[in-house]
This record gives sequence, structure tokens and C-alpha cells, in this order.
Amino acid sequence: MATTMVSSAGGLLAMLNESHPLLKQHALYNLNNFVDQFWPEISTSVPIIESLYEDDEFDLHQRQLAALLVSKVFYYLGELNDSLSYALGAGSLFDVSEDSDYVHTLLAKAIDEYASLKSKAAESNADGADMDLRLEGIVERLLEKCIMDGKYQHAMGIAIECRRLDKLEEAIMKSDNVHGTLSYCIDVSHSYVNRREYRQEVLQLLVKVYQKLPSPDYLSICQCLMFLDEPEGVASILEKLLRSGNKDEALLAFQIAFDLVENEHQAFLLNVRDRLSPPKSQVSEPALPKSTVPDSSQNENSSAPDVQMTEGTSSSTVHEMDPSEAVYAERLTKMKGILSGETSIQLTLQFLYSHNKSDLLILKTIKQSVEMRNSVCHSATIFANAIMHAGTTVDTFLRENLDWLSRATNWAKFSATAGLGVIHRGHLQQGRSLMAPYLPQGGAGGGGSPYSEGGALYALGLIHANHGEGIKQFLRESLRSTSVEVVQHGACLGLGLAALGTADEDIFDDIKSALYTDSAVAGEAAGISMGLLMVGTASEKTSEMLAYAHETQHEKIIRGLALGIALTVYGREEEADTLIEQMTRDQDPILRYGGMYALALAYSGTANNKAIRQLLHFAVSDVSDDVRRTAVLALGFVLYSEPEQTPRIVSLLSESYNPHVRYGAALAVGISCAGTGLSEAISLLEPLTSDVVDFVRQGALIAMAMVMVQMNEASDSRVGTFRRQLEKIILDKHEDTMSKMGAILASGILDAGGRNVTIRLLSKTKHDKITAVVGLAVFSQFWYWYPLIYFISLAFSPTAFIGLNYDLKVPKFEFVSNTKPSLFEYPKPTTVPTTTSAVKLPTAVLSTSVKAKARAKKEADQKATAEKAAGAEPSPASTSAGKGKASSEKDGDAMQVDGQPEKKAEPEPSHEILTNPARVVPAQEKFIKFMEDSRYVPVKSAPSGFVLLRDLQPTEPEVLSLTDTPSSTASPASGSATGQQSSASAMAVDEEPQPPQPFEYTS
Amino acid sequence: MDPKLTEVSQLFERFKAACTRDDLNTSTNQLSQLKVLLTGFRSLPPLFENTPDADKELTIARDVYEHAVLLSVKIGDQEAFERNFFQLKPYYTDAGSCLPQSPQEYMILGLNLLRLLVQNRIAEFHTELELLSPTALEDPCIKHAVELEQSFMEGAYNRVLSAKHNVPYKSYDYFMDLLAKTVRDEIAGCSEKAYDYLSISDACQVLLFPSENELLEYIKEEHPEWEIKNGSVVFQKAKESAPCKEIPSLQLINQTLSYARELERIV
Repeated sequence: MATTMVSSAGGLLAMLNESHPLLKQHALYNLNNFVDQFWPEISTSVPIIESLYEDDEFDLHQRQLAALLVSKVFYYLGELNDSLSYALGAGSLFDVSEDSDYVHTLLAKAIDEYASLKSKAAESNADGADMDLRLEGIVERLLEKCIMDGKYQHAMGIAIECRRLDKLEEAIMKSDNVHGTLSYCIDVSHSYVNRREYRQEVLQLLVKVYQKLPSPDYLSICQCLMFLDEPEGVASILEKLLRSGNKDEALLAFQIAFDLVENEHQAFLLNVRDRLSPPKSQVSEPALPKSTVPDSSQNENSSAPDVQMTEGTSSSTVHEMDPSEAVYAERLTKMKGILSGETSIQLTLQFLYSHNKSDLLILKTIKQSVEMRNSVCHSATIFANAIMHAGTTVDTFLRENLDWLSRATNWAKFSATAGLGVIHRGHLQQGRSLMAPYLPQGGAGGGGSPYSEGGALYALGLIHANHGEGIKQFLRESLRSTSVEVVQHGACLGLGLAALGTADEDIFDDIKSALYTDSAVAGEAAGISMGLLMVGTASEKTSEMLAYAHETQHEKIIRGLALGIALTVYGREEEADTLIEQMTRDQDPILRYGGMYALALAYSGTANNKAIRQLLHFAVSDVSDDVRRTAVLALGFVLYSEPEQTPRIVSLLSESYNPHVRYGAALAVGISCAGTGLSEAISLLEPLTSDVVDFVRQGALIAMAMVMVQMNEASDSRVGTFRRQLEKIILDKHEDTMSKMGAILASGILDAGGRNVTIRLLSKTKHDKITAVVGLAVFSQFWYWYPLIYFISLAFSPTAFIGLNYDLKVPKFEFVSNTKPSLFEYPKPTTVPTTTSAVKLPTAVLSTSVKAKARAKKEADQKATAEKAAGAEPSPASTSAGKGKASSEKDGDAMQVDGQPEKKAEPEPSHEILTNPARVVPAQEKFIKFMEDSRYVPVKSAPSGFVLLRDLQPTEPEVLSLTDTPSSTASPASGSATGQQSSASAMAVDEEPQPPQPFEYTS
Repeated sequence: MDPKLTEVSQLFERFKAACTRDDLNTSTNQLSQLKVLLTGFRSLPPLFENTPDADKELTIARDVYEHAVLLSVKIGDQEAFERNFFQLKPYYTDAGSCLPQSPQEYMILGLNLLRLLVQNRIAEFHTELELLSPTALEDPCIKHAVELEQSFMEGAYNRVLSAKHNVPYKSYDYFMDLLAKTVRDEIAGCSEKAYDYLSISDACQVLLFPSENELLEYIKEEHPEWEIKNGSVVFQKAKESAPCKEIPSLQLINQTLSYARELERIV
């Protein structure tokens, strides 16, 4: 009996036609229970049920029941729209908490519908008047339920999607871990909220919520405020923290400042800095007037001189202040140093210098194998050297090969000189004096070749990229005082770099006058430079630039302007649509090509579907190869926030018959997956590195190097294969020049910045690094203009953990990397199979301990090569001997401070102890742990970057690491005249590594 | 005994009495009441709950619906017949295992088959047939319907009409009359297609009318589009049936070519 089941709903359906209402109700009720089973039968009777729903004679409950039944049938039929509209009719009978497929599906549908209605309403600025209240009711019920059940993340996601900021706030406030929820919410709003304005609204709300909390998380608030571009808020928070009596609060303020600096938003940072009120000179003065005019002017004064701007403010105002103000003044000085980027740049420079591990042997091999007459490979080698030593200030290679270097003529000379700028990148204080021998001499008139003069100006720009306050004036004067187009070219690029994103009108006018000379060489640089200057401002200047691009005859100028226009819309998303439309519909392929860049930059890192669709469309349909190539390449920019997606999206394009498209695909992967070492990316690029077309090989090699930067063989064996492939290509006499050049550049990028930098387009807080993105965008122009290769140095960011104490000094501090040291160690230096390995460590440091260590290392290396056949085991053992020696020395002498990260000496260590400052590659970050019994505690437990440390034993003397290196180290190779200004400047700034001596081209 | 059940059985008795009296109004009202009362039993389809009185309830419910079917035949309401039959059906199919077979089952199934035949719903007819057991097929009521259908399909219309005289039950008469009309409609439909015109006497013969008057009556009612001309019936053939559509070849060629071009362009 119990097993008896109905086999058909026919009886019930027939009952629906009965005249008695009770019978109908009975039928409806039972049908509703059996609908899951009999929906195919019921579907034929839907019209009857619908008419029941519409029949006014029935009571509400029954009509709702009918609606629910119809809704379910439609759901099974796959007609979700109808289903939803009837479900709305079912009112309260539609139970959001029911756990069935039907309810889940319809809820999802309802949310979608509601969200799209809401966003449509928001976009057209209309009220939600025509909003279906029933729909809203369902969504609200759902939200309520989520909050009740503690599914806050669901609730927040839905609330954000549906633009219900009130509900979002409620969800956040009710959640049990408000901080966690907030940070989740920030993540979500960055990755899933597509419209810029709306994202700002969400962030504003978040800031509001943050501020309501009893213990506000200033770090996050400031990040939000930065996205919102509200320097006032940040400044007031910083000031509050700085004025607090507690040292920890000041540390927190410094930490905030460092985090902000990491995002490289120059204009914003300067704005914040200028808004910090100066210390009161008299106690009686009423509480801080918020007027920004006087102090900003004061700051202008102090920042105008090149070197000692930060010292200026404090020394002039420090007298006759009460103690708390004195403390504030002192902190403010530090704060301004940080915000201007100088502190971090200086520390980075020291780190890169002291940890430089570049392998000169690779360069030497390249140099020897490259034919003398082949100027492309020759300059490629110079490029590779510059990239390899970017920011390390180590120019040994150039010094040792002056003869060879002098073969560079004309533009190659320009590049060679500019390369110094890359090597000395961030050497703000002495940049000018370093480049002095090559700079145009004001009155003397044509001391050197215009090419090296132009290059030097460009180099100054590279040195001061994004921090060019001190050098802007000089560059402007140089630009104005010259009429040589090569010098103009260099000056324009330099100015653009130095004044990146500042939107300075005067500079713009200067550059514009260079543009209007209508010289192809200067005009191209001027176009790019205007873009750099106006990055992300979307100002009206674009129409001016566009008009000139139509007017001029020179393709170079058009190209420069096209890129420049693209740069101005950086990050503007929908706002840029009109301009993009205009450019992509242009007759001129070069402007369309600029349009691709505009798309790439306007939507950079958003993974916006519309942009991707447009780019894919152009990638397959445009008539010009250049445009197609750029369209594919642009995908890399749009997708860099989701690197896993890129290989999948471009995989088909990478098999295109069109080599330009393949090239674009390679670079797209290179750009978006840069520094990730993503396995899919490598698999996609691998076949392209042996493509039949030479320039595709070039692109693939460069892209591969970008992906693999900082990886060693232990983490992916293909890195080793790739290195060997590069070597083979470079040594192969019959290889095409193009791919050879690619291979040379690739070896440079692979070991960039002394093996201590990676390419990173997103900061740790998921903010776009504007400089890096711009750098890569201009870098990708090297197809047309090799000197632009140097722009890649803007994308380099050091992979370091640098802990700082209250004095912004680097104390000795140890922490643990919880993984095998071999996984992330530096790639082993290459060895020459025969002999001559003596020149392997040219940056010989003259302290005895280091010598001993070098000896030990050499022994170890020799042993390692000897025992290579024996297997992997002996090599760590042999190094352990050397390390043991070194560490015993260290124990004996506490004063001897060593910058190298010491590895533990166990045969199979499962972790290693790193010493501040240490190299921490991105993949390693998740293994970083801080020791609990350490003297210092980090303010924020970040695994890399600048971290402020709280000193738990402030009374004891601190041991500092990363102090300045002895000044006698740098000049073993310099036989040429010692510059008189170098010694003077070395006296002035004792925090710096010794500037290398200037050298001259001998011919 | 459950008071509800008692109430139902009392009402059922009165309903049966009304039926036999041919008091149609009272009986329909009582039937409606009965049905409403039946919805209160949880042992009935579709719930089939195992209540103590389940057997009795099921039996009485089945009886009620059987009577309802017969009543609808008596009234000549085909829709009601269908409704009632569908409501009755679960008692035969699903509850068949736990109830003794109803004596009227085959008769009602046969009636239903006949109804489908009358309404010319041949597909459903066969569906129903397939669901029947071999023993059921042996039953004279079912057999009757099956034979009728066969003759109907063969076109042996005279056999169909003559079958009217040996119906197994009186209640079949209603449908047999209707069937005659269905048959005639079929014939009319065929002749329309087959002939341009027919003489009136031939038409009488073909359509199985005993007299010309009945034929003319029939034409007037059912087929006003037929013309009576010169002593013959002229069928208006639907000449305007659309000519075979031309293949849009040019368009197709264009489309295919453009696909080919696109394909070439796709990476």
C-alpha cells in the first residue's frame, strides 16, 4: 500500500476544470506538490492554471498558489523569465529559504534581474520608480536571510551587485568580523565592480564604515581614500597619527605612507604631502589652521633645491618649539621624505646595490658572441646590461669595456648613454652629477655629440622617473635651449618621465612647442611625453593632440601622439569610450593603433568584458597588421589583474596564421603574466620561441623572460631549458638578427636588476601601479623605436623585505622562510667550462670576511662542477662548509654586519632564516613567517615591501644592517679622470653608495 | 466507521437514487458535493496515505467516479466525461493492486475508447490501448471498440454503422450515434478531396444517407461551402494551396560565401 504512487497527473488536471472552487484548490494544492514529477503533463495545461491565477474571483492565496505552480512549470521548461514573473506573482508563497534547485535558480535569476534593473536605473540617473516592488521584496528577503544565517559574504556580494549600499552597510556592521569583512569587501569591489563611479561609491561607504569602528584600520582607510583620490582625508589621518604621543601610531603613519608610495601615484602623494600642516612655531597659536596655501608654498620652496629638500623644512622651523611640536616636526620631516618617495627609493637603491647578484659572465658571453659589425645586437647587449643592472648603480661592465662601448654611434650612442639612467635609476641625489659629463653644456655649445647629450637627458628622466621634482626645471631649460632634434627627443622623453602624471601646464606648453617644430624625431618623443605628463587626466588636451595628429605628415609624430593620447585616458574606463570610438574608427591605421592602446590603458587591469570583446574583434578584423598586433597585445594590459585568464584567451590567437597576431599574443601573455611564472603561460610561449618568423621568436623570447623573471630551475625546470635556449640562440652564428636581439634582451630581463626585481603591475593592495603599466605600454613600442626599451625599467619593482625602525633605519632582524631554500634562491652563476672564472665576482668587496666567503664559495663552486656527475647531494654539503665558516665568523664578531641572507647550514633544511633586508620573491611570500620571540614586531604583517618594525626593547642599542658600503669599493676599474664633484657629493650624502666615476667614450 | 465516510456513503446512496430517477439536476449537484467531500480523504490519489479506512474510501471514491462517468454519458457532456474519467483512472491504474477489480471497469474503459474514436483522437486511442492488459483486450467491450476502430481505419464505414446495432451496453448508444456522424464527416472530407462533383443520389449513397433531404440538411449545416448545381454537389477544392516554395538559392549562396570569408579571417 505504501508503495502506491500516482502515475499521472491527469486526474488532478482534470479536476482543475471542475466548476467547484474547492475542487480546483484541491487540485492546485496537490499539483504543486507533485510538480517536480509531473511537470511535463502539467505543462500542457499551463493556460488553464494561468487563467486561474488571473481570475479575480479566487482568494489571494489560491491565485498565488496557481502562480507558484506555473512558475515551477516554466522553470522546468527552461523559461526562466516567465518563471520569474510568476514567482513574483506568488508573493510570500515563494520561499527564499527553501533548499531546492528551483528556488536557487530563480533567486539567482531574480538577483540578476534586479541588479541589471538597478544598474540601468543608476546609469540613466532615473529613480528606481519603475522598479518592481515584488522583485525588490524577494531580494530583500534573501539579503535578510543571508545576514541572519551569517552568510555575510553572500549578502555583501548580492548587495554590491544590486547596488544596495544600505544593505551592504548593514551586512558589514552585523558581521562578526568587521575587519575581515571589510577587507573582503574591498577585494570584491576591486575585482568585480566594473563601473568606476559605482566602485567609488562603494569605497566611500567603506571608508564611512571604517571610520565608525571603534578601532579604525587606518591602513585600509587610507588605501580606500587613495582610490577615491581624496588627499585631504589621508592627510588628516596621517597628521592625527603623527601628532599622537604614542610612538606606535607614528610607526603606523609611516607604514601607511610606505604603502601609499608603493602605488606610485605621484600627483596624489604630492598632494597629501602638501596638505600636512607644518608644525606650529609658537604654542599660543590657535589649533592648526587648515589653510593649504601657505604651507604648500613653503613646500615648494623647500622642494625646489635638488638634494636636501627634506632637511630644509625642519632646520628652518625647529627652533623655539615645545617638545611635542618638535617631535611632530621631526616626524613630519620623515613623513615628507617617505611621501616624496625618496626614502623608499633610497632604501631600494641600497638594497639593490648590496644584494646585486647579476652574472657578468652572461654578458661577457653575449658580448663575445655578438659580431662587431652588427649594431643591432651590439646595442641589444647594451640594453641587456642596463636592464640587468637596473637600479643597482653597478656599471662595471661598461667600465671594463669602454673600447667595445665606443662602437656605438648615433642612436646607439643615445641608447648607451640613456642606459646609464636605467642602471642608476632612483639615484636621485647624484643623478645629475653622474650624468654631468654627457649633459649639454649650457654655454659651451656642442661639447659632445648630440646623441649622447640627448641620451643623457633621457637618462635623467629615467633616474628621476615619477619623482622628478628636482630635475624638471633643468630638463625644461635643456629642452628650451636646444634646437637639435636628437637633444629635443631626449629632453622630451626625460621630461615626460620626470613629470609623469603631474599634468603640469607649463611643461606641457614647452613640449608642445617642441612638437610644433614638426620634426619627426622630436615630435615623436613630444607626443609620448605629452601622454606621460597627462597620464590618466583625460583632459581636453587630447583633442588638441588628435587634431595635430591629423595635420602632420610624419608617421612618427602621429604614432607618438597616438600613444600619448592613449596614455591620457589611463584608467578612465567608460569615460574614455568616446575617445576610443573616435580613434578606432579613424581612417589612419596609426590612430587606430593608438586606439588599441587607449582601450588597453583605459581598461587596464579591469578585465572588462566589453573591452576584451572589442579588442578581440579588432584582432581578427582590422586590415592593418599593426593594429591587429596591438589589439592582441592590448589584451595583456586589460587582463593583467587576472593573469590566469590570459593564456586561455589568447591561446587561439597564438596559433594564428598571421605572425603579427602571434607576436601580439606572445607579448600579451608576457605583459599580463609578467613575474608570475605561470605554467600555462610558459606552455603557451614555448612553441612560439621556435616560430618560423623571426620577430615572433623575438617577442616570444622577451615575453618568456618577462614571465620567468626571478624564477630558478628549482621552481620550474623549464627556466633552465629556456636559459640554455637563449644561450644557444646567442651563440648561433646563423640565427636571425631579430631573434638574436630578442634573446639578448630576454637574458637581460630574466636577470633584471641584479636578480632582485620582478615585473609587477599591481601593488600588494591590488592597486594598479601606474608607472609600471605606463612603462610597459611604452616599452611595447620598442618595435618601432629601440631606445624605448628602457621604459621597462619603470615596471621593475624590487622583491625585498625591508624592515625599518622608527628612525627609518634598517635594524638587524631575522625572520623565517618556511620552505626549502633552494626553491627560491638565486640562480646559480654561470661557469666557464675551461678556466678564467676569476673575473666572476667583479664587485669585489674588500673586507676580509667577505673575501673568505668568496673563497669558500669559489671552492664550493669548483667542487660542485667537479661533482656534478655524482648527483645533487654533494653540492649543499660543500656549500654548508663555506657557510659554516662564514657564520662562525659572524658569531665571533658581532659588529660585523653582513647584508647577505644567511642560509641555514643543515643538509636538507626545510626552512631558512632571512635577515633584514632580504630578497623575498613573490612566490615565496606565502612562506614568510615572523619569529615570535623577536625583538622587533612588524606593524603590519606583510611578507614583503617596506614594513615598519616596533622595537620591544627600545633601550638596548640597535644593530643596523644595510649601512653604507665603504667608499673605496667602487673604483677599481676607473682609470679615467676622477670627477671633482663626485667626492664633494659623497660628503654631502653619506647614506648613499659611492657614485661610480664618470667615463668618456674614447672615440 | 468514520463519520465522514458515513456521510459520503449516505450521500452516494441518494445520488444513485437520483441517477436512477433520471433527476439530472439533483444528481449533478450531489455529485459535485460528493467530489468535494472526497477531497477530504487522504487515502485517495494522489496522496495514497495509508489510513485505516483506506480500502473502503478508495472503493467508494471509485464508485462515485464510475457513476459520475455514466452520468455524464447520460447528460451527453463529453467534457465532463473526460474530466470524470481522468479522475477515475488512477483508481484503475494506480490503486488497482489494492482493490478488487470493479465490474464496470472494462465497460468504462471501452466507453472511453469509443469517445476517443468519436472525437477522432486516434493517437490517444492507441495510447490507451497499449496500456491495457491482454485479458482486458479479450473483454467484449474493449473488443467492440477495437473492431470499430479497425473498420474505421480500413474505411469500412458501413461496418461501423452496422455495429451500432450490437452494442454491449445501452450507455454505448450515445457514442455510437456520435460515431456515425464522425464517420460521415470522414467520408465528406474524403469526397471533397476525391471528387470535383457528385450527383445528389451518388452523394446520398456515399455519405450513407437514407434520403436526399437529410443530405441537403447535412450540407446546409456542416458544409455550407458545397454548392448544389444541376442536381449535383460541387466540392470547392482548395485550389489555392500554395505552390512549392522556391529555394532562396541566391541568398544561401551569399551567406555561405560570407561564412567562408569569415572563416578565412578567423585566425
